[in-house]
Amino acid sequence: MMRIGILVLACGALWAQQFKFNLDHLAAKAREAVDLSLSKDLLQLGAKFLSSKDPDEAKVRALINGLEGIYVKSFEFDREGAWNQSDLDQVKNQLKTPEWSRIVGVRSAEDNENVEVHVRRESGKVTGVAILATGPREFTVVNIVGNVDLESLAAMGGQFGIPKLRQGVPKKREP
Amino acid sequence: MDWLEEELRNALARKEPSPDFDGRVATATRHKANVVMMTRRWIAAAAAVILVIGAGEGYRWRRGEAAKEQVMLAMKIAGGKLHRVQRGVAEIRQ
Repeated sequence: MMRIGILVLACGALWAQQFKFNLDHLAAKAREAVDLSLSKDLLQLGAKFLSSKDPDEAKVRALINGLEGIYVKSFEFDREGAWNQSDLDQVKNQLKTPEWSRIVGVRSAEDNENVEVHVRRESGKVTGVAILATGPREFTVVNIVGNVDLESLAAMGGQFGIPKLRQGVPKKREP
Repeated sequence: MDWLEEELRNALARKEPSPDFDGRVATATRHKANVVMMTRRWIAAAAAVILVIGAGEGYRWRRGEAAKEQVMLAMKIAGGKLHRVQRGVAEIRQ
């Protein structure tokens, strides 16, 4: 019974997710890995616990309002060549449908990192965003389901700085 | 003084209890014991309900805090990557 429940939940998560990430094999090679599957219910629950007094949390609360889900897989490796081009291709191939369009791609000569942003549009409305960030020792895929304000999110990223990846669920922040 | 002695003798004379005295005492004792037992059961039930509600709230709070941390981490990662794109585009424009 419990297995059926888990299967139903997993199917629900995959249904909400707009493209599949079969990247579990990279987790074993990674020094640090983040795997987040935030459905609408979890986003709403998390939003209730975001403080309106904390400026960062208040901005995040406004940003996630109306989103259907956020799915993140991010890996950092000790050595180069831990991921293959086929890992990236299996994600990119799913973004070749007419709904998806690549809006920007930036390659950093400094750290040889490549970041691409794809947007999904349905009936003229933005319904999803895919962010692919790859570097010699990094592989990150993000799918934000829903209409998200990219400028605000980017501005917030500047405030947060480069995030430190942690294994699994993050620990509670020190007061 | 004979009348006084007579009165006292009558007043202090042994009297047998009514035939249902044992039964009435036993019933009263049982009733008291029942009241005490019922009170204890109600207190135990109330404590159990409070415990269940408290545990449920605690679980909900922990789940909410975990969800909040995950949302913040997801936004940090997504925001960090987008910021890098924005910075790259700004550098190209310059």
